[in-house]
Amino acid sequence: MTDPRDTTDPTDRPNTAEPSATSGIDESGADPPRDPTRRRPDGGEPARGSDGDTSLLKEGRDAELDRGPFQQWVADSIENPDRVYRAMFYVAAVFFLVTTLFPFYWLLMVALTPEGQLENIVFTPNGFNPGAFVEVFQVIPFHVYMFNSFVIALASTIVVLVVASLAGYAFGRLEFPGRTPLMLLVLVISFFPPAAFFIPLNDLFNTSFVFLEPITGDGTLYNTPFALVTPLSAIFMPLAIFILTTFYGQIPDGLEDAARVEGTTRLGALFRVIIPLSAPGVATAGVLTFIAVYNEFFFSFLMTDGQPENWAPILDGILAYQGQYQVLYHLMAAASILGVIPVAILVVIAQEKIVSGLTAGALKE
Amino acid sequence: MARVRLENVTKRYGEETAVEDVSLEVEDGEFVTFVGPSGCGKSTTMETVAGLTQPTEGRIYIGDDDVTDLAPKDRGVAMVFQNIALFPHMDVYENISFGLRLRKYDDEEVRRRVEEAADIVQLEGMLDRMPSEMSGGQQQRVGIARAIVRNPDVFLMDEPLANLDAKLRVHMRTELQRLHRELDATVIYVTHDQAEAMTMSNRIAVLNDGRLQQIAAPLTCYNEPTNLFVAGFIGSPSMNFVEGTLVEDGLETNNFTVDLDPSQLSEVGVGDAVTLGVRPEDVHLTRYADSLTDSTARIGARTDVLEPMGDEVFVYLLLSEAAAGSMEQDPATSPNQLLMSVTPDTEIEAGEDVDVVLDRSKIHLFETASGDALRHGLTDRSGREPGTTPTEADS
Repeated sequence: MTDPRDTTDPTDRPNTAEPSATSGIDESGADPPRDPTRRRPDGGEPARGSDGDTSLLKEGRDAELDRGPFQQWVADSIENPDRVYRAMFYVAAVFFLVTTLFPFYWLLMVALTPEGQLENIVFTPNGFNPGAFVEVFQVIPFHVYMFNSFVIALASTIVVLVVASLAGYAFGRLEFPGRTPLMLLVLVISFFPPAAFFIPLNDLFNTSFVFLEPITGDGTLYNTPFALVTPLSAIFMPLAIFILTTFYGQIPDGLEDAARVEGTTRLGALFRVIIPLSAPGVATAGVLTFIAVYNEFFFSFLMTDGQPENWAPILDGILAYQGQYQVLYHLMAAASILGVIPVAILVVIAQEKIVSGLTAGALKE
Repeated sequence: MARVRLENVTKRYGEETAVEDVSLEVEDGEFVTFVGPSGCGKSTTMETVAGLTQPTEGRIYIGDDDVTDLAPKDRGVAMVFQNIALFPHMDVYENISFGLRLRKYDDEEVRRRVEEAADIVQLEGMLDRMPSEMSGGQQQRVGIARAIVRNPDVFLMDEPLANLDAKLRVHMRTELQRLHRELDATVIYVTHDQAEAMTMSNRIAVLNDGRLQQIAAPLTCYNEPTNLFVAGFIGSPSMNFVEGTLVEDGLETNNFTVDLDPSQLSEVGVGDAVTLGVRPEDVHLTRYADSLTDSTARIGARTDVLEPMGDEVFVYLLLSEAAAGSMEQDPATSPNQLLMSVTPDTEIEAGEDVDVVLDRSKIHLFETASGDALRHGLTDRSGREPGTTPTEADS
């Protein structure tokens, strides 16, 4: 078991960084220093000046006197680069934490501020109104939007995992002519801008097909979850194929052979042996797909008419607080926070699964 | 249990031919070992029987059924793998019962049969462990239990002991033999280890370059190899080969001549290249050779290196000065060297000049060009004329 923080958190490596730093300071007090700047903090300087026997030392003293705090810090850093790396780590960590977390903090502040007092919110809300989190469900049926989003994301994830598993099996475990060109084709398609597909797809989904009438009523896919699940599955499929190809390709052939001799078909071996052993990969592909579909804007916005009963996702729900004369910013903020919660929970759970899956699969070979 | 028959099985991967025209039959209840060097096609041959590889040409029969086009699961075979191939995400019970559960046996029947199989391979009380918690030998026993629990017609074992340490390997060898006797099963066993092949099998099938070289009882392969490859492959250390030329009254090599009548060898005539093969234990020091009824003329040699193995001593003999310092050559094939094995109480030292003789009844002759065996034994008890009562070569 390795803790990922071990490699990134400098506070976890006192054995390497700290002693060298402190021992360097100790030495400068005890031994004749090589760097004259070392003498100053512990008051060694006057004694040093009283020697005054060589011009070299004088020159060193002059240079030292010219140094300000910044130059001092640079000199120390050259002597002891670990300090710089540590400082850089903290700067970078704080920067990323602020840029990622501050918007959420500010969103929370906006959500907690009562309506009509939304000016000049910086670090604290103007008032305290947790009722906004209840109000979002009263003004519009936001829970329906959430449910829609959830169903669409889940359905897309299932479609992606099933199809990408089959593709990943073929690409990862079978030798066939044209494997590499096909793989490249998948890669190329994944780089197409989704907007390029939109107009033909929208046209297609608004076309009435007789055979769809029993399912969708009017025979079109517009305003049904299929209008979102189909294109979004396709768009996020290549990434899942790549992830699963890598994982399935690593399962030893012997295990699949064993399963087939024992009584499964190739497909059975895929579902009974290869997928369970690739759980971390499947979880990764699934979580990434779920989040990507859940967060998707373009198709989600355009493939339904925005009504909750027509499978409009969260996006439309949040925008629904924006009326013609009034924008309920505090409700939009509250709804945004509520919308993030399922994904946040999913990531926390899945992360644990991914880590445990990675350490559990000890294969011989 | 059932017979297994391969008819002209050929497997090609693009230009490469892995198995070429192999035909053989494994009798009901027989233990047949496929043996050969790495890449000789023995594993591929077995995979065609298992159904994991589709032969390019040829048919495969198990019992009376043509199984060539059947999926592995429908062939009634069970397989034990070199890399053990236990499912790491299942415990021992689930591993052993995997095939039974797929076939929808009821739970009670599954449990009864799993426990029975675990008994046979002595895994009682370990059914709830995970494979990763077991030693290599235990894991392979689970692999064997997984194979026997389904009561298959044919067991296929693909180097099942190769990943085990030496001591465990010898132990598992006897266990597998016991198992074969208990189950009275048809077993096809693949190995590159000829000790396993010799000790366990009813018959061994020697393969090289995708071709079947010989299929016969282990001792037949040892005593009457059909060609140079089998002669060199079976037996450890391997047979000495000395290339020579047939002359009017015998076989002349660089350093010695063996009397024989070339007219007794129908396939070759005077002037043809013939390779003499003799096993290290059939080379004798002249002073200990009194018991031999029929030996060759003395061959002068100098001992080079001694390798005491405990139960015997291997002596590397240099037949001529030219051979000195040419140790990079394999002594078994070098024309100027012979490998001799003697009992440990023999008085012999390195660098000693000795005379040796070969046991004529154990000399093998091969046609150098084709490698085919010409004669096994030059025994001639009725007179000095060699070859008057020849031992017929095994075809």
